[in-house]
Amino acid sequence: MQLSRRSVLFAAFAASSTAALAACGSSDSSSSTGTGAAGAVDGKGKTLTVLVAAQPNYPTQFAAWSKQVTDAFTAATGATLAIETFSNSAEETTKIQASIVAGTGPDVYQLGTTFTPVAYGTGGFLELSADDWKAIGGREKFSPETFGMSGPSEDKQIGIPSATRPFVYAYNTEMFTAAGIASPPTTWNDLIAAATKLTSDGTYGMAVAYADGYDPWKYIWAFTEQTGGSYVSEDLTKAQLDSEQVKNAVAQYFGLLTQHKVVDPAAVGWKSGDALAAFSGGKAAILPMTSAAAVPALDQGAVKGKYAFAPLPDVAPGQTSRPAGAPPAQSIVSGDNLAIASYTPNKDLALAYVKLVTDAEIQQAQFTYFGNLPTNKEALAAVTSANPVLAPMAAAEKGSTPTAFTGAWADVQNGVQNVVVQSLPELAKGSVDPASTASLLEAANAKAQASLDRAAR
Amino acid sequence: MTVPPALAAPEAAADAAPREPGPRRAARPTSGRRGRRFPGGRPLWLMLPTLLLLVLVIVVPFLLAVWIGFLDLDQYTLRQLFSAPFIGLKNYSEGFAAGQLLHSIWISAAFSVLTTAFCLPVGLLAALAVNSAFRGRGLVRSAFLIPYVIPSFVTAMVWRFLMRPDGAFNDFLAVFGITGGQWLIGEQAFWALVIVDTWAAWPFIYMMTTAGMQAIPDELYEAAALDGAGWVARIRHVVLPGIRHQLLLGLLLSTLAHFNNFTLPYVLLGSPAPDAALTLPVNIFQTSFQFFRFGLGSAMSVISLVLLMIPAIYYLRASKLTAAPGED
Repeated sequence: MQLSRRSVLFAAFAASSTAALAACGSSDSSSSTGTGAAGAVDGKGKTLTVLVAAQPNYPTQFAAWSKQVTDAFTAATGATLAIETFSNSAEETTKIQASIVAGTGPDVYQLGTTFTPVAYGTGGFLELSADDWKAIGGREKFSPETFGMSGPSEDKQIGIPSATRPFVYAYNTEMFTAAGIASPPTTWNDLIAAATKLTSDGTYGMAVAYADGYDPWKYIWAFTEQTGGSYVSEDLTKAQLDSEQVKNAVAQYFGLLTQHKVVDPAAVGWKSGDALAAFSGGKAAILPMTSAAAVPALDQGAVKGKYAFAPLPDVAPGQTSRPAGAPPAQSIVSGDNLAIASYTPNKDLALAYVKLVTDAEIQQAQFTYFGNLPTNKEALAAVTSANPVLAPMAAAEKGSTPTAFTGAWADVQNGVQNVVVQSLPELAKGSVDPASTASLLEAANAKAQASLDRAAR
Repeated sequence: MTVPPALAAPEAAADAAPREPGPRRAARPTSGRRGRRFPGGRPLWLMLPTLLLLVLVIVVPFLLAVWIGFLDLDQYTLRQLFSAPFIGLKNYSEGFAAGQLLHSIWISAAFSVLTTAFCLPVGLLAALAVNSAFRGRGLVRSAFLIPYVIPSFVTAMVWRFLMRPDGAFNDFLAVFGITGGQWLIGEQAFWALVIVDTWAAWPFIYMMTTAGMQAIPDELYEAAALDGAGWVARIRHVVLPGIRHQLLLGLLLSTLAHFNNFTLPYVLLGSPAPDAALTLPVNIFQTSFQFFRFGLGSAMSVISLVLLMIPAIYYLRASKLTAAPGED
């Protein structure tokens, strides 16, 4: 009898769970939002869901940002704002995948710039019309460089720039002064020369994170672009990872350690956090490929008050100038875009949200909370004028170059990254055989080409 | 030294003991009205909600994964999940031809077998060490479980820090005159995985072994002692035969868990991983969620499942867990 009762209870629980699971599959997304005569959005009784990156390092600030945005959104539209978070790109990808297949999910997504081409490839996001841009507040309010990763062309943009993180280099002003280096170098040759001068007695000129999951391909990309090459042909049909420019770029990147010896040999195993720690601890004079996000760590380290930023050089190592037509490529167009799901029944509300968080007020608040630079021109000017140390970042943003806007980008980027990862054992021994990197690049190129072919279908 | 017959064949002693009422007895058909309502005497219909949940949670996703493995499903066709191009076995052939699948299978197999092999003596010795009562045994037993209860993510993060070139692990090795070097790149990354997973997983073998040892009647130890059996003889003729089933099950589950371990290699080594440590779960993750080849990733997952079923089925058959009532 006791067993029976337990079984019945379990059956009831299971049945209710099944019903609950079934209920999860349906949500109220029936009606669209009305737009008032004056253009104001009437969203009373509606809920807009947005998926944004979690900020584990800034929990209090994230709570404050959420409250500010939610209150402002409700005041402007009468609707409720539900903020969901993802903690890593895999989680976001899974969410996007499930939402696109099901045709239901968050209305607005925050996308990394290099992920935007992949999201575009799914066809699951709204291509913004002229009216949509008008509803957001117009293109004019954004820094033009930030549109570099919004879409394949101006009339096919899905990404609205919401934050920018241009890459720069940080340098130890005290060490520079002591070494008689008057101003931050603007070419890689000069930067390497400065680093050579600053390498001595256990202190190294540069902190380079060779084992990082993201940094290496950016160095190699910059060196490639600055010598007139490219990972992918301009028409996005041909992978060029086996080109001479890329091979030379890889050699120059490894040469910082093997040839110029301005990098700590232990950096072969460093992630970006290790490079940051070396610089902030005064063990390295120059920290390339960093961003405004490093400021809190630097201000807690031994270099507090003794560092400054500068745009990364725009002339590749071994070169005295860029070939005609080669871009400065001081930074990739890096940051976050917002994209509106094409299945959303709340398009007007979604546009109102995007307008709100890209307007000057929230953009400035976003910098205060998380250190993300504004994409809004007015807010960027206000932030850089209040924080002169960030002025080089605004300059770097102007010198940034977009990466190829193709759904195959993940294979391209990972291909180059994999070349570096597999070469690390050789690098640890002090020299990397060009023939082995060439072989790895050829394999990466074949994969990237297959992916580009898929994208072109 | 002679071993008493009872110890030489512990199963015989176990067989001689009165049987607990087990499932086989409960399975006997009952007669009368109750028997007509519940065939075999068991109200199987009460399992329907459970079966329904199993179908929803396991069978449907599994069948979906098998189906997706036959489709050319990627980010471009994602919106047409049920109408994506059907390409038959092409994902499987591509996986074997270009996806480093065989390489990853080999790495995962070597990793799981080696890790289990290293966990076995550690877990067994730990269980033997705390099998006899002593003051503070509860505390020691609890302490043994610490590596196992720490989340994999935390374990990997901590060891990533410890295994830096200037980290504590190399300092420890230096005490013995060993130069550790770079653990997280190249060939050494594989051994880093084995070492860390052994550290994290040996308590599982310890737990299974301890459970087995607790089921051995004290009389067997007493009889062995009376016959003058030493420590080694008691282990060989009392303990090991007594824990055989639990130990085998522990080794199987341990091997499968190591083979399937995604968090540890992903967090410890990042992605892309060194070729020497590119395990199958990480390869599947890269294929599915970094290169967005969902069809290819599903095909690789199905292959992984088939591979994992081989030892599982072998064990189930060997241990007769799948035997029908009345069979031996």
